Amino acid sequence: MCICILYLNVLSRISGSQATEVKVSEVEFNPNFVSRMIPKLEWSALVQAADGLGHLQDLPTELIADYEANEDFLRKVHRVLLEVEVLEGCLQCPESGREFPITRGVPNMLLNEEEA
Amino acid sequence: MTVMEEAATLLEREHVHSVYERIAPHFNDSRYKAWPKVRQFLLEQEPGSIIADVGCGNGKYLHINGSVFKLGCDVCRPLVDAAWSQGHEVQLCDGLRLPYRDSCFDAVLSIAVIHHLSTKERRIRAIKEMARILCVGGRIMIYVWAMEQTRRKFEKQDIFVPWNPKPSSPTLGKECPPPRRRGTAQSVSECIYSGNTEKHRKVKSTSSMLEEEEMVCSPQQTQRLWFFSRSLDSVFDFGSLTISRSTSRELIGTFSPLGQVEGVKVGRRGRGVDFIKQVSSIFSGLSRNSSEEDVFASTTDLARGQREVGVSSIDNHNTSSEEKTSVCTSFVQDCGSVALPDLISSYQRDRTEVTEKSGVRDDGLPGDLQNRYKSSLNPRESKGEPAAGSCMRYYHVFREGELAELIESHVEELQIVYSCFDHANWCVVAEKVQVWKI
Repeated sequence: MCICILYLNVLSRISGSQATEVKVSEVEFNPNFVSRMIPKLEWSALVQAADGLGHLQDLPTELIADYEANEDFLRKVHRVLLEVEVLEGCLQCPESGREFPITRGVPNMLLNEEEA
Repeated sequence: MTVMEEAATLLEREHVHSVYERIAPHFNDSRYKAWPKVRQFLLEQEPGSIIADVGCGNGKYLHINGSVFKLGCDVCRPLVDAAWSQGHEVQLCDGLRLPYRDSCFDAVLSIAVIHHLSTKERRIRAIKEMARILCVGGRIMIYVWAMEQTRRKFEKQDIFVPWNPKPSSPTLGKECPPPRRRGTAQSVSECIYSGNTEKHRKVKSTSSMLEEEEMVCSPQQTQRLWFFSRSLDSVFDFGSLTISRSTSRELIGTFSPLGQVEGVKVGRRGRGVDFIKQVSSIFSGLSRNSSEEDVFASTTDLARGQREVGVSSIDNHNTSSEEKTSVCTSFVQDCGSVALPDLISSYQRDRTEVTEKSGVRDDGLPGDLQNRYKSSLNPRESKGEPAAGSCMRYYHVFREGELAELIESHVEELQIVYSCFDHANWCVVAEKVQVWKI
């Protein structure tokens, strides 16, 4: 599960303690794609998640201006967004605290019948 | 949860989810090709778009268009795992409770998914959920099986379809899965698809009525038995008190307390479960000895037979009149004892289970039955593949205009852009619009 997903999910909390297996793969860099994704993300949340997983590295904590032309910056975003994956861990609902496991790279967001 | 909701959930678990879980390992990627209109829809999306494929299966559409971010989800773990191993971003979740925020997707796909939902209310809820996650201006493409097929028409809208494993091909098992490659670029799977274009085109022409993954080489090799059922909606129609005459006796017998209270409450909790277990046991007990004889062909006979409550007109050259009577009696008895959807099916001459003098089996077949005896074909037994009879998938096939009507009448946040008939499916593309509440 790549970090991108966090912004799409209603759950937004994941931390290093909850991610027991994180993997970094090589993914083809597409600058256009990355720069178009950025406006759809909540920057501070991305930073927080990356940090929580121990993969913040040199990602700026504030979104820089004119990032579209800044290849160096885009590559940093690309790495965090698409190359860092959580293979085993869990996502936590910030309200209920309910944890959803991530197993073999796939988050299981199915609710039990009692919770429905 | 109401009884109806519970029954629907159980039905879908038994005849959709668990079936897909069992047959997932037998899906062979090389059989699949993205349908052109779906491919086109994906290619038209702006680069950098975020797209959800709700009910993505093994991810056959997730490799299209490397410039958009696709997120697949499905309830079936083995299929989702297969999609992940292809390098796609996927989640396990329920289409009625999507774990996504409002308005964050630029486009949504729902390809051959909502026809597996067993009530109208659930189908509407699924569409509304997908509309919720779409941003204003974003579009959704929905494909569902059509009742009206190219050469014939399904007799009824609620059906159970056995899964027919593809006849084993020489290449099966010899292909090693490509190493998992993540990323926005098109994956290796695309190459496999294009290599099989010719084969697919040929097979497709003989199987216009079949779903993609059920392509078969020739009619003689198929075992097909289509089971028609009444929809859960019609069986549970307490609200308007239009319970059909043919089931009213049974329903009153089992559900009478309910008729006296408001609505359908969980108070009679066990009923829905028993009901569905009965339905399931019927299908799991079915023999695999079935012919290719198409139930479509005998529509008029079946329709007539259906209206005769508890009386089966058995077209049988072999059995004696005593046998005939005993079978009839058993059917009538079963009819009276339990509320079940009516079943119309065609049977083999060699189906000893049905023609035994002792009557029908314990999990036998109540409801209206018309038995037609045909010459039997030996069932194809492929090693390791689940029996066709035990993998009955539930479908609600859509009438022309039905999907559009669902959206127009019940999902005001979606506006239909176009609809068409494609590959034996009804297709609708709709756009999310801003709804102003006054």
